[in-house]
Amino acid sequence: MIKKNVICSFCGCLCDDLSITIEDGKITGVDNGCALANAKFLGKERLLKPVIREGDSIKETEYNTAIEKAADILKDAERPLFFGWSGTQGEAQAKGVHLCMLLGGVIDNTSSLCHGPSILAIQEVGHPGCTLGQVKNRADLIIYWGCNPLEGHPRHMSRYTTYADGFFLKNAFRERKLIVVDVRKTMSSDVADEFIQIEPGGDYAVLSALRAIVRGEEKIIPESVSGVSKSQLKRVADMCKEARFGALFFGLGLTMSKNKYKNIRNAVELTDELSRHTKFTISAMRGHWNVYGANEVFTWMTGYPYAIDFARGIPFYNPGETTAAEILYRKECDALMVVSSDPAAHMPKKCVEHMADIPVIQIDPHKNCTSFFTDVQIPVAITGIEASGTAYRMDGVPLRTKKIIDADFLTDTEVISRIYERILEAKADV
Amino acid sequence: MKFEMITGRTIRQGEFVEHKHSAEYSEETSSCHINPVDMMFLGIMQGDTILLKSVCDEVVMTAFEDSNLKRGSVFVPYGPYCNRIIPNETHGTGMPDFKSSVVAITPTERKVASVYDLFKDIGGREL
Ligand code: SF4
Repeated sequence: MIKKNVICSFCGCLCDDLSITIEDGKITGVDNGCALANAKFLGKERLLKPVIREGDSIKETEYNTAIEKAADILKDAERPLFFGWSGTQGEAQAKGVHLCMLLGGVIDNTSSLCHGPSILAIQEVGHPGCTLGQVKNRADLIIYWGCNPLEGHPRHMSRYTTYADGFFLKNAFRERKLIVVDVRKTMSSDVADEFIQIEPGGDYAVLSALRAIVRGEEKIIPESVSGVSKSQLKRVADMCKEARFGALFFGLGLTMSKNKYKNIRNAVELTDELSRHTKFTISAMRGHWNVYGANEVFTWMTGYPYAIDFARGIPFYNPGETTAAEILYRKECDALMVVSSDPAAHMPKKCVEHMADIPVIQIDPHKNCTSFFTDVQIPVAITGIEASGTAYRMDGVPLRTKKIIDADFLTDTEVISRIYERILEAKADV
Repeated sequence: MKFEMITGRTIRQGEFVEHKHSAEYSEETSSCHINPVDMMFLGIMQGDTILLKSVCDEVVMTAFEDSNLKRGSVFVPYGPYCNRIIPNETHGTGMPDFKSSVVAITPTERKVASVYDLFKDIGGREL
């Protein structure tokens, strides 16, 4: 059997045109997907049963026992941290916020380690963005700044930009110009019409120089800015001004490098400047398939997109203080629940150390580096394959992922709901 | 020699991100891409092991020749190896310096640790 128009729940592109071949209830083929999609849909390794650590050994158990153990850990915690959420369905994210609220804990999603700085900038200067459909159909100039889509989001170019013909661009590859800005040459820079190679940490200065040139102040720009020649900057500024519709996409090269959110603020202000000459938009290349959803769900429930502390009984948001990396580094939390993420692999060692000293609950179908610290790991159905669920694409469009095969696993939403109910019961008994 | 370490996603890292206990993931995330001229000055060849030291710790990786990098920068696919030496400082933003930490690199005879060994000494236990 072949299932068509399946959504890929791997990266923020959420490509919705995959064809999946299913034989005897198992996935045997993936068409239209990239290498990352193939790895996801054809992946065989996964945790089959919940596990609980007892001393140095780890033992398989049933869902009820694992859920009971997780609830016991959480109900005794004074400052639990709930982290992850970018690889799970929106419904589970909402349940997670309720659970954190009930316990007065801190809830953070992986944006604090990816596009958190972009959100900080957007809170300062706004977000002149648009949907990917607009880009595909209208944009005749694409800029990728601090990202390498051919490796990080392999079909972004073929679905939405360089290789995607649109309503007003019948031959996109010839009609669209492509500019790539990065500190190193990449597969993406190889196909660019213009590649700007910046010295590491030089993005802010180059963005400022481009803004000055677009404003007509090129006389104040020196011959070279962070390794980029003035003549190239002038050429690029002209390309931007001459475009009918320009779309700037930026990645972690801007958020994670020196100046962090100030880089994004400057990029938004360049977009603003360019919009006085033509139509220009800017968007973040969101990584995990539902990290945008985590920001949306957290915001409509608490008012804040990530790093929310309920210790005061009301939501309190102060990235740099209430973000997971700080809470762990300061050894502040006394229990950690990780949902569909791997902070042990993706945070600096100094933050990970505390995980060895506190109970860790993990809700994840796969063993990962956080599993080395876990006290109870509960495997769940993989959303988009074994369960349906809502996800937000990187441009903020919500899509409903499908269940395409049956599996005997609970969903993230069911597991978190059951933990929540168990804690409510325990609280009522006191 | 001192370098600016940049980390980032690669296709191979992404393919094995849900199989972190695999040899392929360990191999990919412990490879340090270096400009060939810098490799010459370090006196190392492709595949040699190198020691990367930062202000907070050190880790052994495998050198990988990459002329796409400018001299003075190295690139490491994102994962537990680079995080061993990335400082936790976030400058009040919640985001560590994943793309701008300074590391000193020297040749070494030591072997690359397994993913588990990276966590064993900070209290990680085998699953
Ligand atoms: S680009 Fe992203 S969403 Fe699209 S198929 Fe590849 S991994 Fe899946």
